[in-house]
Amino acid sequence: MKGPIVCLVILSLMTYSCTETELPAGSYDRKPMLEHYADKVIVPAFRELEAKTASLRSQVDVFDTDPSSERLEVLRSAWYEAVLSWQSANCFNFGPAGESGVKKSLVEEIGTFPIDTMQIALFIGENDTLLNNFDRDTRGFYAVEYLLFRSNALSKLQSDVSTRAYLRAITAHLARNVEEVVRAWEGSYSASFLGSVGTDAGSSTAALYNEFVRSFEQAKNFKVGLPAGKRPGQTQAEPHLVEGYFSGSSLELLKRHIKSLELVYYGKDWTGMNDGPGLRDYLQSVVGGAELSVASDAQWQMVVDALEQVPVDRPLSELMAENHPTVDRLHTELQKHTRYFKSEMSSLLGIAITFASGDGD
Amino acid sequence: MDFSVLNRLSIRQWLSKPVPNAALITLRLVFGAAMTFSVLRFWYLGWIEDHYLNVSFTFKYFGFQWIKLLPAWGMYGLHLLMLLGAVGILLGWWYRFSAALFFVTFTYVELIDLTYYLNHYYFVSLVSFWMIWVPANRRFSLDAYFSPGIRSVYAPRWAIVLFKWQVGIVYLYAGLAKINYQWLVEALPLRIWLPANNSLPLIGPLFEQVWTPYLFSWAGMFFDCTIVFLLNNARTRPWAYVSVLLFHGITGWLFQIGVFPVVMTGMVLVYFSNSWQERLLGWLGDTSKGDNRPSYSLISRPFSIILGVYVLFQVLFPWRYLLYPGNLFWTEEGYRFSWRVMLMEKAGTATFYVKDRKSGREGVVDNAIFLAPHQEKQMAMQPDMILQYAHFLAQHYEEKGVHDPAVRAEVYVTLNGRPGQLLLDPTIDLTQIQDGWAPKSWLNAYNETWK
Repeated sequence: MKGPIVCLVILSLMTYSCTETELPAGSYDRKPMLEHYADKVIVPAFRELEAKTASLRSQVDVFDTDPSSERLEVLRSAWYEAVLSWQSANCFNFGPAGESGVKKSLVEEIGTFPIDTMQIALFIGENDTLLNNFDRDTRGFYAVEYLLFRSNALSKLQSDVSTRAYLRAITAHLARNVEEVVRAWEGSYSASFLGSVGTDAGSSTAALYNEFVRSFEQAKNFKVGLPAGKRPGQTQAEPHLVEGYFSGSSLELLKRHIKSLELVYYGKDWTGMNDGPGLRDYLQSVVGGAELSVASDAQWQMVVDALEQVPVDRPLSELMAENHPTVDRLHTELQKHTRYFKSEMSSLLGIAITFASGDGD
Repeated sequence: MDFSVLNRLSIRQWLSKPVPNAALITLRLVFGAAMTFSVLRFWYLGWIEDHYLNVSFTFKYFGFQWIKLLPAWGMYGLHLLMLLGAVGILLGWWYRFSAALFFVTFTYVELIDLTYYLNHYYFVSLVSFWMIWVPANRRFSLDAYFSPGIRSVYAPRWAIVLFKWQVGIVYLYAGLAKINYQWLVEALPLRIWLPANNSLPLIGPLFEQVWTPYLFSWAGMFFDCTIVFLLNNARTRPWAYVSVLLFHGITGWLFQIGVFPVVMTGMVLVYFSNSWQERLLGWLGDTSKGDNRPSYSLISRPFSIILGVYVLFQVLFPWRYLLYPGNLFWTEEGYRFSWRVMLMEKAGTATFYVKDRKSGREGVVDNAIFLAPHQEKQMAMQPDMILQYAHFLAQHYEEKGVHDPAVRAEVYVTLNGRPGQLLLDPTIDLTQIQDGWAPKSWLNAYNETWK
């Protein structure tokens, strides 16, 4: 009777393996990685963002009582601090920061750019501060930037109560959205994040990874490619589409964003400290992972180099308008890096990128 | 004496012989139930919206460019009809019409976008096609209930043998496909896929062992190659079915493969003996009584030729890859419609460059504008899809004002964990290339080494 014997063999093999406690090469325990990301990387980044956006909001209130040019400078600094800290938290668009119902992901709710200046003017004109619409390009960080940094910003803010009211409304909206995410992470979401240790679609690892890649692509396509005129059909650069156009901070923001992605990849927190198990460590443990890591790191270095080469004495938007070669090079290096994150890492880690059924179905 | 005539006659006779039809009835019930479940699940998961609504571009099957994506109401309508067809098959109600309805709607929907090609869907199309022509509603069905005249406990032998054979082909070819160096000697892709499951309850620790992928690779290959023969043999059948349940249960648990395990565990029931089928139907509530004089008619000569051609096609078509040079997994020439199930881990990133030939200005395409993530994922590793997309881009951007566009693509593909390699020459203009049966000389050769 072959049947029972085969079953017995399989059963004993399984029992034997259950008693093994060591993880040999070729297998990775994702739980500590997820714990590290949740406790040491994601929540601290969101908390920092919360602090900075709360500070921005209070500075708006201060400015409101005393709309002077000194106060505006302080306010502008507060905005800059906040949007910088945003760069360290803008790749975690899952869970409470993910899409749910009509609410889009956090990066869309508070980080949409370019903003629609005409529509903002319309809302201000109608004194509409309810924000009861789907025009995400009329609020968020970059709408605040517009109101604070556009030409004649100070005089418009000083003279028009409506403008100040709108500024208050969108800053409050901004801070509130961040608060909600932090509360959720500090509440029940953490447990569910840590409870999902697979790599299937909908798992925490898949969510973390997919949003990470999406953030990288966003940087490449919308912070560099599109405003630099790199799309087919664009006959020239369109620098006004770049992030941080009005404040001229595009390059600093981009650098912070790219650095943030690097730190997340390594499993470090937004300050660069607290190194722990991250995606890169996970990659080391799988078939082909070590080779991929080497190639990926080498190309990443090219990206970092290209970023360093971009002149800092002028705004990025100006460099783009002139078709500066350093921008071209940056875009090329980002493009070359894409496959390492986008297809090769997920392939080796066995991470599902969508819910669709795979072959074999 | 013309022996060929005799042979054909005896085969025709053999195929036409009335046999007890319980297996066919079970098949109808199983298939109808599985398809009903499948359509409902697809609908419930929101995949109609995901796959077919708000879609900018669909990838066409070669020769089926005329299949059009319908507007929302059309896509919902097709799925509703599909559901009705499946239920009609299950209940045996307006059976032939239901089977035809299901076949047409299901196949049409599948042909809309090559992105969603699955061997499983191909299998369903084939089975549902033949379901139209078999007398599966003569018993334990609403048709038989309302029309006593059609009642019968017999069916021509071909109606059952064909399905046994088709299921056999699927498993056997799936098994033969696994006989390759990467699968057996390197335990790839299981060595990539299995460790990712180390967190599953009970079975998880198994996947932390180094030898597990090798065991699963060899066991999988042996299972596929032998299961049909073990099912066919009455003595080994019970244990064979246990292993079917184990195999599909485990693979269904480990991998994202939808209803495939359910369909297959149901379809292999066709191998069970007639007495077993009778007991099953009786248990389900069938009270049919046998008649002593089964009606007999010889299947027509044209029909037997059709059957013969179909069988020949199914046997030969999976081997067409031999006609093409190069690595099958890399070029995928002859890969589909051959029961290559879950055979490789492959992924790519495809960057397209569109050049305005008048101004010389070249732009980089953001694929997310046109393709859903799953579409982009599938396109980036399949040459015929890359070509289709390139032609689409040329047409699209020409309409947007780019003069006489040239399209090139930088496509890096990783196969079974190896470092990404260029799939094709990134300098050639893809608009100058047409898809066809000829070997794709514009693809790079595959470098099998690890460096």
